[in-house]
Amino acid sequence: MSSELEHLARGTAELIANADEREAEDAASRPDEPSLPPLQWLKVNLFSSVLNTALTIVFGLAGVLAYQRLLNWAFSHERNWDAVRVNMRALFTFTYPSSQYGRIWVTLGIVLTLAGLSLGLSRMVGQGLSLKRISIWCMAWGGAVIAGIVLVQPHAKRSADGEILLDADFEPVRESFGTAMADRGWWWLIGVLLLATGLAIWVILGDLKRRKTFVGAIPFTLGVLAFAVSTLWWFHWGNYGQQGDIIEPGRTVKDSAKLPWTAMWFVLTGAYLVGRRISATDRAASVRVVVNLSWLLAPFITFWVILRDPQIDYAHVMSTDLPMALGFMIGGGALLFFLTKPDLGEIGRILGVGLFGIAIFNWVAAFFGIYPMLQKARISFLLLALVALAAHNFAGERAQRLRFVYAWAAVMAILHYLVTMINAPSTVDAPDEFVGGFLVTVYIAVFTMIFSFPLGVLLALGRTSTLPIFRVLSTIYIETVRGVPFITILFFFSTFLNIFLPDGMEIEQLAAAGLGFALFSAAYLAENIRGGLQAVRRGQYEASDALGLSTVQRTGFIVLPQALRVSIPPLVGATISTFKETSLLAIIGIIDFLRVANSVIPGQTVFLGVRMEGLLFVCMIYWIGAYSMSKFSQRLERHLGVGEN
Amino acid sequence: MSFSDATAAVSDELAARDDIIICDSVDKWYGDFQALKGVSATIKEREVVVVLGPSGSGKSTWIRCINRLEQHQSGRIIVDGVELTNDTRNIEKIRSEVGMVFQQFNLFPHLSVIDNISLAPLWVRKRPRAEAERLASDLLERVGIPEQAEKFPGQLSGGQQQRVAIARALAMEPRIMLFDEPTSALDPEMIKEVLDVMKELAVGGMTMMVVTHEMGFAREVADRVIFMESGEIVEAGTPEHFFTDPQEDRTKLFLSQIL
Repeated sequence: MSSELEHLARGTAELIANADEREAEDAASRPDEPSLPPLQWLKVNLFSSVLNTALTIVFGLAGVLAYQRLLNWAFSHERNWDAVRVNMRALFTFTYPSSQYGRIWVTLGIVLTLAGLSLGLSRMVGQGLSLKRISIWCMAWGGAVIAGIVLVQPHAKRSADGEILLDADFEPVRESFGTAMADRGWWWLIGVLLLATGLAIWVILGDLKRRKTFVGAIPFTLGVLAFAVSTLWWFHWGNYGQQGDIIEPGRTVKDSAKLPWTAMWFVLTGAYLVGRRISATDRAASVRVVVNLSWLLAPFITFWVILRDPQIDYAHVMSTDLPMALGFMIGGGALLFFLTKPDLGEIGRILGVGLFGIAIFNWVAAFFGIYPMLQKARISFLLLALVALAAHNFAGERAQRLRFVYAWAAVMAILHYLVTMINAPSTVDAPDEFVGGFLVTVYIAVFTMIFSFPLGVLLALGRTSTLPIFRVLSTIYIETVRGVPFITILFFFSTFLNIFLPDGMEIEQLAAAGLGFALFSAAYLAENIRGGLQAVRRGQYEASDALGLSTVQRTGFIVLPQALRVSIPPLVGATISTFKETSLLAIIGIIDFLRVANSVIPGQTVFLGVRMEGLLFVCMIYWIGAYSMSKFSQRLERHLGVGEN
Repeated sequence: MSFSDATAAVSDELAARDDIIICDSVDKWYGDFQALKGVSATIKEREVVVVLGPSGSGKSTWIRCINRLEQHQSGRIIVDGVELTNDTRNIEKIRSEVGMVFQQFNLFPHLSVIDNISLAPLWVRKRPRAEAERLASDLLERVGIPEQAEKFPGQLSGGQQQRVAIARALAMEPRIMLFDEPTSALDPEMIKEVLDVMKELAVGGMTMMVVTHEMGFAREVADRVIFMESGEIVEAGTPEHFFTDPQEDRTKLFLSQIL
């Protein structure tokens, strides 16, 4: 079974790779157009007509003014950027105890390893950045820095005690322009260096070489990151504290952060290089499958096992958890092996339906408090029933059946392991939740995407199904969820859900909020995917039917791959929205990334009322995340040929 | 034309063979519009039948009814001894015996050529992967484009795509092949390569039902030509009889317009 998936994945990826071929062929046949010299470029693009000139002047002035205002605000003496520096840990991990902080770094290391491997193995390699582009960036940033130096108003003078000197009108006394320019020595250095680098590339290389020489986008980004990390070693970034109120004036950001971040950079680059190495070999496809499966498992392992550090009750494991897991693995495996016999006939369907009936009965009985059973067992039973119903699709020769059974056993093992872990209490010494700040934002966003995506696909298929029951249920679900404000769903799930559940079933607040998130997101995803489904031409359905593919096979092999390809732009949009909507968790009392900046920091005695600096920093981080996702989506669309026909 | 008339047009040599498709007074309505009016015909084993007619005459509707892509409202269709009803098991059995080639090719764009062809034998007939891929390569050679195996449909010309579509249909080892205007969407220079493949199939003994406007093909390869107009069979006969000595006025009118 996995090799079929592999094959399909390879096929889709070949499509991506071949797109590059086509792109290169196209590019080769187009006549080479030299770039315009700078003055002419200005004339054509900015000053071509009267209207164009007017707009350039107006927006240019507005831009410069806005830039000046922003910089004046950011560098004013009234700003207290220490609030952000000191609270870095609070912003990203809130109350995660310092003694166990190594776990955070391990988690980040795992994520960066997988990221580096994926980037290295990826076949979505574009042309890269031309030197022309890089030199223009350097000159632009250099120019922006120098413009900033000149535009920002001179700093206010301070007295010997550090107080701001005020003049007769109670305005701050500012130093002279000349002094200000001299004071900003470091900034001059940066600005001039950038400008000089850009100019050097521009002048030394001719136009043709500039346009045709490329630097890979990822190596370039890694280089920039290397420089950024290196600044931790020689630039004084400011003071650093622990949990908001506690400031240790002696310790700086450098001291605690330089080693881990440097290590992280090496992990990322190393993984990337390994990935690149493997992608050139034959094993690339299998490694890719392993890496993707690891991505799927990573959120669960990192959050539920590594960060929570659960305390396992080995007695309970030996007596209950392990036997149950083995039972489902072996018993279920044997049953599925039987059900995948090629010429099984009616018995297969009868068994499947019977199992499904028992599974439903288990759940219904739970709601009425009769026939108690561990929640784990109920879930495993339901899964077994569903897979048993679909088993006949995987019938075949012995080797294939065995692979199917092994896959089932692996899924059961992982599921039972994770549930045992989540049921064991956490030993992390944090006041409330073990996650807060940016960590909880990522936690909820990732889990929402993992759970809402399959549910969204099922809802979309249900809504377009020919069977009335699926259609009606899906439509009711989607329209109900879309008609209700998200906050009411959050409130309902976090507050009332436990009241509605029967005795013995309980969901803690964060998980309940995540569940509400996932159910909400699924409805919107369903509509996006339904749009993609409608884009699949009728001929595809007819050809599949004429070949004799069953409805399930047709949906899985032919319809869904094409529908999902078309749905990528709205799907990525939904992911970005989910990432930002996690800030609504603040309403139900969870301290997420935004709330730390908005409520926690201004509430600290040392930083009372300091809000804007934190908010600006939070906005920047959100923007970086959203922009990366957007850029990734553009790359994905380009290589899948979305929009072309 | 009634059941007996269309059958009577079959030559003696053919009459000795088994009936493989039997259509008895088939009617089909789209709402109030009747697309098929009492269509009756019997197709023999290894026979090549070409269905001609103006557009809207119901030719495509008829052959799409045979593999249940369209549903007929009255009359009977019996394919290889299995009656075509709402019973899905019958439909599945019939579809595994009947291959279809479409005017718009309908290849799967996200799969390579070899995957397009091997998909059905792999998942419907449950063949092992190696065997399915060998079958696919053999069929690709048979239709003359073995070098295109790893390409994607979007990278092939129309004629090549249609040949891949024929190979894909043949991969299920059907007893009957239906062709719904296979060359109508092709540029003229590519029609020949597809017709050559179809000719080779016919010579090899495949039962074929072809809806087409290619008169040359009808004359050379067909065992029987059926002319339809406005949902009913107007005339049927051997190519010699049909093209040189048509009986009905409507047939004569049609032939005068296209020849």
